[in-house]
Order: sequence, then structure tokens, then C-alpha cells
Amino acid sequence: MTKRTVDVSIPVGPVHPCWKEPARVKCETRGEFVLSAEVELGYMKKGIERIMRGRPWQEVMFLAERVCGICSVIHNMVFIEALEKISAIPVPERAALLRVIVNELDRMQSHILANFSYCYTIEHETLGMYLLDTRERVMDELERITGARVTCAYIVPGGVRFDLRPEDALHLRAGMDALERDITRYMGMFEHGPLIALRSRGIGILTREAAREACAVGPTARASGIPDIDRRLRHPTYQKLGFAPVSREEGDNFARIMVRFQEVLQSIALIRKCLDTLPEGPIRGGGIPGAGEIAYSGEAPRGELSYFIKTDEAGRVVEISIQTPSIMNIEACCHYMLKGVASLADVPSTFVSSDPCIACTER
Amino acid sequence: MREPMYEKDLTAMKYAILESRRHDGMVREIAADIGVPQLRMRRYLMDRFDMLLLENLPARYEQGKKMREGSPEPERALGSHLYTRAVPIIDEGTMGQILEGVREMVRKGIPLDQAVNSGKERMRKEITA
Repeated sequence: MTKRTVDVSIPVGPVHPCWKEPARVKCETRGEFVLSAEVELGYMKKGIERIMRGRPWQEVMFLAERVCGICSVIHNMVFIEALEKISAIPVPERAALLRVIVNELDRMQSHILANFSYCYTIEHETLGMYLLDTRERVMDELERITGARVTCAYIVPGGVRFDLRPEDALHLRAGMDALERDITRYMGMFEHGPLIALRSRGIGILTREAAREACAVGPTARASGIPDIDRRLRHPTYQKLGFAPVSREEGDNFARIMVRFQEVLQSIALIRKCLDTLPEGPIRGGGIPGAGEIAYSGEAPRGELSYFIKTDEAGRVVEISIQTPSIMNIEACCHYMLKGVASLADVPSTFVSSDPCIACTER
Repeated sequence: MREPMYEKDLTAMKYAILESRRHDGMVREIAADIGVPQLRMRRYLMDRFDMLLLENLPARYEQGKKMREGSPEPERALGSHLYTRAVPIIDEGTMGQILEGVREMVRKGIPLDQAVNSGKERMRKEITA
């Protein structure tokens, strides 16, 4: 009997053991080869923009954090900084640096979680579990400074909620030393693991042109050789810290994971620099948000996060629209990376390598 | 016959995506540029794109608009890159034919505006067919 290769539509998800959140990727295949993929969402739509509309900023700042549980700090930061821009509220230097510390801790835990997910997906559970353990230590540092592990509500107009105590600064410095040691070791394991390379190198390639066309952002774009996409380059505090983005040229699953590892080490260096240059002074300058309209962006762990806000005289949010980085990155993943993947077995790992956040996408 | 468990009608959810402020603004601009009713344009986008591409359309549209400004005529006037790559509502082959037709008209001495209008008429036909 002659064997035939046939075209089949294979749904992956919405519930999949390797995915953190539900999404359905419909793959059109010819044998093992993936011809195209499309995505169905709607399994966890929150409608949070509509909930925000008409509410005072004091309520919306808490709602903003609840768009995403993994990168809640940056939602808090971008929303508050947008309000500060509208009303020209100054931020004391100490508070600005404390914001960077907390934001970078949040980025670290998000990147480590993303890399854990990838290692788990390609069945390298040992490295995955090491990474999860490391993430817990980052979360502990975040809790020590802000009082909470997620939805910290640390950043408020004109400053931050709590100061960094000297004993916490010492603990953070020691924690960063230990984290640097561990992450360097795990990065080496990932970089030189032959089986990891087999599942990661040359798979799920996103070319620079495709990344630009899909408006990919964050580590997904930086792994395809687009370094200038990092919003931190335009942030005054990061500019003072001499921030320079990480990028790679390969554009495959391997590059995306490596960029995140490199960015964790970069975050450690930034936190150290903040601790070294942290001046004495107030952490809250005061100020009340008023009327205005702004489009403001910040660099979330997954890329550029944009808030389009309109407020009235009382600081009530009249209009709001949130553009999260996962929208662009998952689109780049499904319409460019997955197209042409040689084996259906690489679909989950390629999807996970783009660090998809469905909670952000279905805000 | 039993229906597959997950094959749902996504029209309502796709419409909800297009209702957002930024999507709505984008649909209005595209509809006005090509000259089709907004409702027809929404329907066309919902039929043609999956939910994720719909979500990403405003970002793609903004970037496509920037590229449009830098391109030569008649590509700029027709938005050939914008409507084939950034917001892919017209197939590249069809847009190639439209562009060729417009260039041919210009070669024959027909004013650019008039030639572009006939090109847009062809785009309208593609969308409303």
C-alpha cells in the first residue's frame, strides 16, 4: 500500500500541558510540516479597559496591575508615569531609581519564568526546576521591598510607596550576587546542551524583516537583530544609568531564550548600579493627576507596553486603551515563526519561546 | 450531525476587538481612504483575519502609514505596501495588477489622481465582492 501525505488541520490547545494560559492555535499541516497557523482567543477575556473607563485614577492604578499577573509592576509604572506626564508631576531621584530596581526585579522573574516554560516544553525539566527555584528568590526580593509578590501597587504619582531600608539593600546586593552566579551557570547549561540545541537552534525563525512587519517587540524582536526597539533607551532614568540593549542575530528559539538570560544578567547589573548611586532624599514628591490626554509607552518584560489615556479634571479616566506587547509577539509567532516549522512537535516550544501572555492579550 | 466542540462562531468576539477606540479609528481611516462603508470594511476584516491579527492591526497600521509616506507614487497614493503587507486586505498579486494598471494609465497621459481613483475602484470591488 502506498503511503500518502495529507493536509490536516490540527488544533493545539486551548488547554495544553505546556501552556500557562488558554489559547487555541489551529495548524494547517502537510504531514509534519506546518503550512500556516491561526489563533483563536476569547477563553479569558476580562474587558478591563471597559471596567477602567469612568473610574478615578486611584481605582484604575490597581486595575492596571491586574491586566497581567506576571508583569504587574510595569503596568503600574506605565499608567502612573502617563498620569505624571499629563500633570507634570516631578519624581524625586531616589524614587526614580527605586522604580527601576522594582521594575528590573519584575523583569527578571518574568524572564526566568518564560525560560522555565521553554525548558519544561522541550522536556529539560531539571533546568526548568532550577530556574523556578531561582525565580522564587527574585520574588522574595520583590516582596521584601514592596510587601507583595504580585500586584505590588508600589509606584504612586510622584514617587513610590515604601523606601528601601539599609538591611534590605544589603540583602538585595547579596541576593544579586547569588543570582548572577546561578543564572550564569544555567545559561551555560542552556548554551552548551546538545539536546537543547537540537530542539532550539534553527527552529521557529523570525527574520528581521518579518519581525518589523509584525511589529514584534521586546526580546522576540531583539533576538531577531532589532536592538533599538527597547523603550528603556528613551526613559530618562535608564539613560542616566547608561542602559544599552541586548540583541542577537539568529532569530530562532535559542536566540529568544538566550536574550532573556542575557537580560536577566543585565537587570542584575542595573540593580547594582541603582544601589551604588541611590541618593538620600524623599521618596514621594506629591502631586495630583488632572485633566489631559497622552499616549505613553514603557518597556515591559515582553516588550513595548503602551497606554492611551484621557483624564478629566478630577483625574477620572475618561478613555483608555492598552496595547500590550504579547499582541504583537504572538502574532509574529503564529503568522511567521510557526509557518514553515518542519515538525508539529516544535509548535508548542516555538509558541512558548515567544513568551506568550494571553492575559495581556485578552486584557 | 454533531458539531465539533471548539469550532465556534467568532463573529461576536471579533466585532468586540474592532469596537475598541484604536481599532475603530483605524477602520474609519481605511474605509474613508478606500471609499467603502465602515460596516462593510469591518465585516471584511472579520472574515479575512484571525483574532490575533485583528488585535494587532492598529500597531501594523501605524507602522504601515509611516512607510507609505516614504514610498514613491503611485504606490503611496494607493497604499500598496500598507494594504498588502501591514494590513493585508488586498492580495499582493491583485495589488500588483492594480499598480500596473495605474502606471499604464499614467503612461497614456491620464492624470495621476484619475488613475489612482480607478485603482481604488478596483480595490473597492475586491473588498465588496
